[in-house]
Amino acid sequence: MTAEVLDQENRDGERKWRRRSLWSLLLLIPLALAVEAYDSVKALLGNNDLFARRVVWGQSAQFGGSDWKLTDLRGAFGMSNLPPDSVPVLADFQVKIGDPNLQNLWLGCKIVLIDKDGRRWSPTSIVSLKATGNVQTCISAIFSGAKSGDTLNLRETFLVPKEATKSIRPAVSVASERPHFLLFQLEKD
Amino acid sequence: MMRRLANIALLLVAVAFCYGLQVSKPHYGDLIGPIPARGKPGDTVVGRGFEIHAEKIEFARKLTVDQYGQTKILTTGGVWAVVTAEFAARAQSTVVSVASWRGPTGLTYDQTERLSFMNGLLPVALDPGLPRKARLIFELRPDEVSNATLLVSEKLVAALDSQAEISLGPVTTAADGLPTGTVDMLDMAQPL
Amino acid sequence: MLENAGSRLKAWAIAGIGTAAAIAVAGVLGAFGARHEPLPVLAPSSRIDTGEWQIRPLKAYVSAEKYVYGALLKPGGKALVLELEMTNRTARSTKDYFDLLQVGQATIDPATKPFIALVRDSTMSPELHPGMPERMAYIWQLPDGAAASASLELTVIRKTYKPRDNLYGLPGWFNPAPIGTMTIPVGAGPDAPDMQP
Repeated sequence: MTAEVLDQENRDGERKWRRRSLWSLLLLIPLALAVEAYDSVKALLGNNDLFARRVVWGQSAQFGGSDWKLTDLRGAFGMSNLPPDSVPVLADFQVKIGDPNLQNLWLGCKIVLIDKDGRRWSPTSIVSLKATGNVQTCISAIFSGAKSGDTLNLRETFLVPKEATKSIRPAVSVASERPHFLLFQLEKD
Repeated sequence: MMRRLANIALLLVAVAFCYGLQVSKPHYGDLIGPIPARGKPGDTVVGRGFEIHAEKIEFARKLTVDQYGQTKILTTGGVWAVVTAEFAARAQSTVVSVASWRGPTGLTYDQTERLSFMNGLLPVALDPGLPRKARLIFELRPDEVSNATLLVSEKLVAALDSQAEISLGPVTTAADGLPTGTVDMLDMAQPL
Repeated sequence: MLENAGSRLKAWAIAGIGTAAAIAVAGVLGAFGARHEPLPVLAPSSRIDTGEWQIRPLKAYVSAEKYVYGALLKPGGKALVLELEMTNRTARSTKDYFDLLQVGQATIDPATKPFIALVRDSTMSPELHPGMPERMAYIWQLPDGAAASASLELTVIRKTYKPRDNLYGLPGWFNPAPIGTMTIPVGAGPDAPDMQP
């Protein structure tokens, strides 16, 4: 074997590895980006309600370790001192507690109304209607000390413009289930 | 020789380029600062989460307010500026809570904290489709009134979020040093 | 061998002279003296610049009223009140005046936090706005049965402006440090005249 042949072989080997390295970049760069972005994507998904799980009227759905059921959605007409063309809307839920660790599972609990254009109404503090019986809000229920098997009645009050009342649907989300959330359908749907 | 000169020139260009990059590098505080949405009084300024429409600006020497059924007169060492604005939420319910008045020299005046008991001030809770009016009340030095900018945002740290910046334009000064049209007394108990 | 020892000696000598020179320069620049100098005594009626604030003490007195500028005192209690004119020297509204004045141990327990009120309308600790002097009252609740002393000893604290802090890269006022002490005579009541410069 002469030196020339050895040299040629070395050069071929070098070229082969060089090519392999370049091709591997195609895989490595997207992989590095994915690893870098993992935490950000996780935070983004964990902070947003993105994917709706539709719940048919009258049915209950397992969510955040408990069974959620929409029992009523109605407007409270005839109140004074409200902005023009606005209606207070009450959403009532019945929740059968499964896993009683609400302080973890229901953390960041949000109940909103969503209309056909995707606009979202959070509960209001402008209107406060007196509730009869043992009615709680989502946040107060977290600290109620409810045990497994208990049934809680939750109610949230919203202020919605009249034009939107036809298409609003209640939605429930908790941090432990995001980016998924429950979207309750009404009887007429 | 030519080659060496060319190399030196290239080196100098590289040094100048790096220096330019260093000098023009934005500071962290600028990078994460609020994103301005600019406008004038009468415009509807649209931010990410809210809209604001500044309707009128009034100046007064004193304000009268109702506190627990009693009328109280609030004086100031400068002049009171009262901005009436209409706010609206966009795609979801929000709260607009921060406003300040940036004078022509850059001095920034936060809303007064002396009327915290009064209704109709910020923070104002907004629901989509239901615009609401609110008052922004400032205590100002008279020389900071003209050519000022009104800054309004949802949260105190408006990092990477919209901040409405409304240019208020020139205001003439009367003989007493206060803005022209300054009234002696403005009644804050009046409905918006 | 001899040559070697000589160069070593030279190196030692140079190092020694260098160290001595460095210590001497540091001494001239005041690295050793500054810490132990007593705080300067400030004239009680002067205008004092603390960086963020310009303050001018006006009067001090003991009050036995139920409310002192809106601050509710304990029943039967007394309060030591210091009124002063404060001007915000910074570019934006602030209420960073809670650590501005430290009372001397002889007068009040330094752990007592004062109420700070706007004299104009008794608003509790409002933001003060740039370039607008306001009359403010610091109100220290006195312990039950404490004898009112004849003078109020204060240490004034200043802060330093940094255009960018190390954590957020944002401007702010940092590094509180005392600038001086002053002794203000305590008058009989709120009607005493203001001190004149």
